[in-house]
Amino acid sequence: MTALRDTRTLTRITVTLYWGCIVFGLTLPGVVTVAHDASRRHGAWTEAWQDFRLHLFAPGYNLFLVAALNAVPFVLLAVFILFHLGTAAKQEPAIVSRRLLGIAVALAAAVGLSAWAHIGTTLYPDAQGALVYLFLPIYLLGLIPLGYALGRLAGNFAFRQPAPPA
Amino acid sequence: MTPRQIGLHLVGLILLIALLVGWYWQSTGARAVPALTDSLKSDDAKVRIAAAQALAEIGPSAKPAVSRLLNQALYDPVEYAGIEAARALRTIDLVTARQAMVASLQALREDDVQTRRKACAVLGGLGPVAKPAVSDLIDLLTDADDAVRMHAVGALGEIGIPAALVIPALAKALRDPAQAVRHRALSQFAFSISPTEAVVQALKQMLEDKDRSLATLAQAALNSPHRQAKDRTAVYVTTLQMGSVNDYTLRQLAQFGPEAAGTVPAVIPVLKHEQPLYRYLAAEVLGAVGPGAKDAVPALIAALQDEDPVVRESAADALEAIGTPEARQAAATHRQTAGLK
Repeated sequence: MTALRDTRTLTRITVTLYWGCIVFGLTLPGVVTVAHDASRRHGAWTEAWQDFRLHLFAPGYNLFLVAALNAVPFVLLAVFILFHLGTAAKQEPAIVSRRLLGIAVALAAAVGLSAWAHIGTTLYPDAQGALVYLFLPIYLLGLIPLGYALGRLAGNFAFRQPAPPA
Repeated sequence: MTPRQIGLHLVGLILLIALLVGWYWQSTGARAVPALTDSLKSDDAKVRIAAAQALAEIGPSAKPAVSRLLNQALYDPVEYAGIEAARALRTIDLVTARQAMVASLQALREDDVQTRRKACAVLGGLGPVAKPAVSDLIDLLTDADDAVRMHAVGALGEIGIPAALVIPALAKALRDPAQAVRHRALSQFAFSISPTEAVVQALKQMLEDKDRSLATLAQAALNSPHRQAKDRTAVYVTTLQMGSVNDYTLRQLAQFGPEAAGTVPAVIPVLKHEQPLYRYLAAEVLGAVGPGAKDAVPALIAALQDEDPVVRESAADALEAIGTPEARQAAATHRQTAGLK
């Protein structure tokens, strides 16, 4: 964890996670839609992209709104990362590592659930499938703190502070 | 990170959100009409279809697009693009929708089979607004071409009113020699038209059809919630009272005729709805109810001043159907003023 003592490295990690989180939340539904469409068309990526653009604001599709709904919890997580990791340089290295592990677990859980929901809905569409897009942000907002808590708990065991000199 | 750095990244996020909100605002509602109207010129049929659907969703605010939609409805080489343009017209402007109907009625008499098929499809796309085309479509049920008859059946199902003409015609189509026509007629009873008792008997006979797809569809029509639709007027009343006005509910009520008399208090406010299609359908419901809708006479007399001539005409028809002296007098005066009689 020596590298994390370097403020610049920590800043770089924070900024990457912050913007990565926002971009991932916004683009995941679109990436899944275009990839699925392209695979159905045997690799016709251009047509899949045009179809995606056509349905971005189209009634009954509104892929823009789907992306915005998915992005909400990721944006909140990004803001949390910015403040939580961005101000961590003043803390003990063990605390920085614990925070980083907490955020990593929260992010992994959010990415996993979001990807699973979008891929599942795209591969197996059904009449009530769109409800997933409404409930997913709520589930993600519940899962992110849980993931963070689990990561911090694991961090408490993995990164112990050095004992004060006797 | 310094507080300044954190602040800058937050400002970046706020700018991104503002940019996305601006993009959404610019791409939806009446603001999107110019771009969508341009999309109707696209060489790609999928783009034309999506643009027509989006314009339909916008409704009366998309009026600048009606001439191009009319053109697409009548002349687009892709049938589905024409249907979607017709569907858009009925939600945007009833007068232009009626122009599309008149042009399609002429096309029904063309020698070219494909032209007659397409005209039927466009009339179906216009839905209940194409009510005056019902008689011509019924005549087409004796056309020599199977696909023309099938398209005519589909159009009658989409128009749905007046039920007194549409339901017997669809029932007759259940005995058509072509399987595709019988299948289309059965689909109407399975998914949108409430079968009468006479139709139910015909459907029961079709349960024994050697063609299993027809037998299965007949079963679906018998199980369909439309069969019990007349018992479900309370549901429709609640729907209207909650402000969830939609053309399906109003068209169903118009099909029930006098049996929908209990829904009159809920239908009257729809005569003032901002959407001309709903005002037109509300007048159609009240006309179908007939004398039982006498409480609606003052509202219908007010509807004679509606800005839309199709709504005014439908209100005058409804007043005549209700038939009280006051209603008849108002309808007659309106017709004299409008120079229709």
